[in-house]
Amino acid sequence: MLLAITDVNLVKEAWWMYLLGAFVTGFIILGSLFFARQAYLQSKILGMKPEIIQKAVVSSVTFSILPSIGIFIGVITMSGLLGIPLPWIRLSVVGALHYELMAASVAAEGITVLSLTTQNFVTIAFAMTISIIWGGLFALFFLKKYQTKVLVKATSDKNGGFGKILFDAVFIGMILAYFGDALAKIFKYETRVIVDGAYVMDSLGHYVTENHPTFVPIIVFGVSLLAMAGFDLLVKKGKLKWLENFQLALSMLVGMTVAVLLGLGGIY
Amino acid sequence: MKPIRTYNDRMHRQGRIFMVIGLSVMLMVPFVIWLASGVGPDFNKLAISVLTLSLLYLPGGIIEVITYAPFLGTGATYLAFITGNLVNLKIPCVINASGLVKTEIGTDENEVVATLSVAASTITTVIIMTLGILLLLPLKPILQSPILQPAFNWVVSALFGALGYKYFLRNPKLIIAPLVFVVILAIVASSFITANIAIVIVLAAIVSVIAGKIMHVKKVI
Repeated sequence: MLLAITDVNLVKEAWWMYLLGAFVTGFIILGSLFFARQAYLQSKILGMKPEIIQKAVVSSVTFSILPSIGIFIGVITMSGLLGIPLPWIRLSVVGALHYELMAASVAAEGITVLSLTTQNFVTIAFAMTISIIWGGLFALFFLKKYQTKVLVKATSDKNGGFGKILFDAVFIGMILAYFGDALAKIFKYETRVIVDGAYVMDSLGHYVTENHPTFVPIIVFGVSLLAMAGFDLLVKKGKLKWLENFQLALSMLVGMTVAVLLGLGGIY
Repeated sequence: MKPIRTYNDRMHRQGRIFMVIGLSVMLMVPFVIWLASGVGPDFNKLAISVLTLSLLYLPGGIIEVITYAPFLGTGATYLAFITGNLVNLKIPCVINASGLVKTEIGTDENEVVATLSVAASTITTVIIMTLGILLLLPLKPILQSPILQPAFNWVVSALFGALGYKYFLRNPKLIIAPLVFVVILAIVASSFITANIAIVIVLAAIVSVIAGKIMHVKKVI
């Protein structure tokens, strides 16, 4: 009979947890390479120029670096309660920091790093994994139907060319939602208190929050937009074509640098 | 004679297989922890947690597929719904790549670009995460330093600000209605907007599409 490991510290930082993390990482890399290869072979059939493929890959890699560092900081944030491997696994597959933190607080209500048991840890791991699979399951069963019934019709020429406007409109809605989010934070910005990598709840079961209204996100939004305009000008008028692949990442970097400078000036 | 499978059919087939394996790998993790530690979950707590979280994330997951699948195409949708970080990484990444190489949503070329973009983005993320784990000791104090914290707090604002420029420039008339909508919402319901960004995305998209349809019918755009 196997003995139960009741000391949670021996579980959350166990070597086999790191092995699990490495396995999941390997699976994600292999899956991505498989799809990339299929797409690459299809690009040959379609007669797409190699420059297009290169541009798509290089711009995607450079663009993903900064947000990925942000995601990794999420691993550190959650590591207080859950150790490193579980957050590493969870943020490598479908999930996001705010979701994982919420799942941790719901599944282990009132638990702190000192009172966390192995059973809490296992319950959290199950809750985080099961509750986020719905989008994937929906795609598994209904994506093909949705594509043929809705998307093909929306993009067809019979629609008088509205398909292009439709997708631009959806994406503009998405960008402006984040503009609204940055603007709203000037008036009210409530953050949930995180202790040891999980949200804190009061005795009534409500999340404990703090209010810090701030101008910083709207400034960052505006500065990044202006930086993008500047880089665009350099690409088009300055004939710096090579800059095109990096202009989004660099614009984000300019916006984020402004946030750091404002922080140094005491504005958070 | 067997019908010839198109690339899209193949992507659906392979994507579904990948999805089944991917969901199994995800679900395997807590089971392995259970098996290796010898301690099972608290089933009562687990049932309540899954129910509570699913109330939010079941409709959210369905809306995400409906909203984002058009941008991603077939292969990339399956890949992205296993690898996650859609709204804060994969979708903007694909939009940026498609914009740079000038492919239109729904075309065969865009399917290729979107798949390559999501694959490249995913590999970048897992490599950075793995490097972060390997270099955790020297990196932790740097990444958690109070000086750098504002930069990563507002990475999403930086991302959508930068991405917004080209879209706003290309569609100045399309931004008016959703802009007015989010500004009013930000002023009168600031708590709602910051706590429910997923809902606000859908609402702003609906306003934007309705305004776009009206302008299209009236031949303003």
